[in-house]
Amino acid sequence: MTPPTAAEVLEVVRSAVVTVLEVDPAVVQPGTRLREDLEADSLGLVEIVEIVEERLAERVPGFHVEDEELDGLTTVDDAVDLAVRRLSGAG
Amino acid sequence: MRSLRQAHRRRGLSRDSGVAGPRVALDLLGGDTAPDAVVDGALLALDEQADVAVVLVGPTDVAERLLSARRPGWRDEPRLSLAAASQVVGMHEDPVRAVRAKRDATVRVCARLVREGPGAGGADAMVSLGSTGATLAAAVFTLTRLRGVARPPLAAVIPSSSGDLVFLDAGATVECTPALLTSFALVGAAYATVRLGVERPRVGLLTVGEEAGKGDAVRKAAHEQLTEAFDDLPGSFVGNVEGGDVPAGGPADVVVTDGFTGNVLAKGLETAALTVTAAVRAHLAARGDVPDEVLDAVAGATAHMSPEVLGGAVLLGVRGVVVVGHGASTARGVASCIRTAADAARDGLVARTAEALEALVGDADRPAGTVESATDTPGAQP
Repeated sequence: MTPPTAAEVLEVVRSAVVTVLEVDPAVVQPGTRLREDLEADSLGLVEIVEIVEERLAERVPGFHVEDEELDGLTTVDDAVDLAVRRLSGAG
Repeated sequence: MRSLRQAHRRRGLSRDSGVAGPRVALDLLGGDTAPDAVVDGALLALDEQADVAVVLVGPTDVAERLLSARRPGWRDEPRLSLAAASQVVGMHEDPVRAVRAKRDATVRVCARLVREGPGAGGADAMVSLGSTGATLAAAVFTLTRLRGVARPPLAAVIPSSSGDLVFLDAGATVECTPALLTSFALVGAAYATVRLGVERPRVGLLTVGEEAGKGDAVRKAAHEQLTEAFDDLPGSFVGNVEGGDVPAGGPADVVVTDGFTGNVLAKGLETAALTVTAAVRAHLAARGDVPDEVLDAVAGATAHMSPEVLGGAVLLGVRGVVVVGHGASTARGVASCIRTAADAARDGLVARTAEALEALVGDADRPAGTVESATDTPGAQP
């Protein structure tokens, strides 16, 4: 199974953000800040990460983000970049 | 060998084993009195609750040793099983980070069993007496939330002088926004229709005075939001209620507050009931001419307020039955929590509460609090 593309990862992240924070999909853009703009708290952020991990692991078994990497997450794009790096094995 | 044995036991949890009633996953390592009181409580529940099955979740060698010391023939009990979990989330740990890092933590495995369901070798419900924040995180990550419930509150049913009432949040989220309190009120009202059978639940906001302007900024703003939220709903917002309205009952079927205040009040009420009872009993006993049955009656009068009897609080708004018990519970308290969990599973509490919430607010009118959420780390101990 081929790893997801960056565009596919973005859709996975956006979908997780919409599900967890119950926001209009239109407001979830690459530059949207998770805490400041969408008022995500620590539980919500990890909830998003867990959903993203679960969905991407369906394509790439064992996909997992290290906890230390979560501290740098600010925007939707940060989450996508992190996932893509992990998927490519560079992270 | 151990993994094969554990897998065999897990398979033995399915309905095919002949156990017809609810199967409750019990956190072996949660609480101040664990694992001893947890094991004692599991055995007590099996003795008293005929159709309930218990899955002890934790290190299997610990469970086996404790069970063998108490009941040598425990392996022949078809309603008792073990599920392996090698880690525990401590009370001192950040619950969100710890639950994420410890995939094999007891609360996480309990939640996983509930997600799998009894037909797949899992469970119908879970009980933990450990870190409330960890239980909340494990439930949210694994079971996921109902739409409209930004943070699942802990709901306790309090036997007030005017009848049972739903009290929430009893300690899951210690710092809340007005929007979050409003979402608690809505899911609490839905729960009250199911649990108490109240068609049009009356919701009160706990604060320091009956008048609308009483309380801190959060309470004042919440009063406005609640007034607006319940404007066109089957339930009604009756305004502010005070601490005394919880044990006395009367104004409201649902009393809403943040987890910090809720936990303080709940523990205060519990201890006050026990302290007054003990004082009256001691006073009567000192007279020397009071029959034992009178002394027992005095104790019985407040026994229903004891956390040992109440059976913990239900985490509302997650897609599975999750009961959080008092960390200092004895075996009786553990058994009561198991009863609460089994009753909730038997009654289809999660699905019915979800339906009631949907009926209350509808798809078109999402409850406030669905975007806004709390800013703190979850978890006081109920």
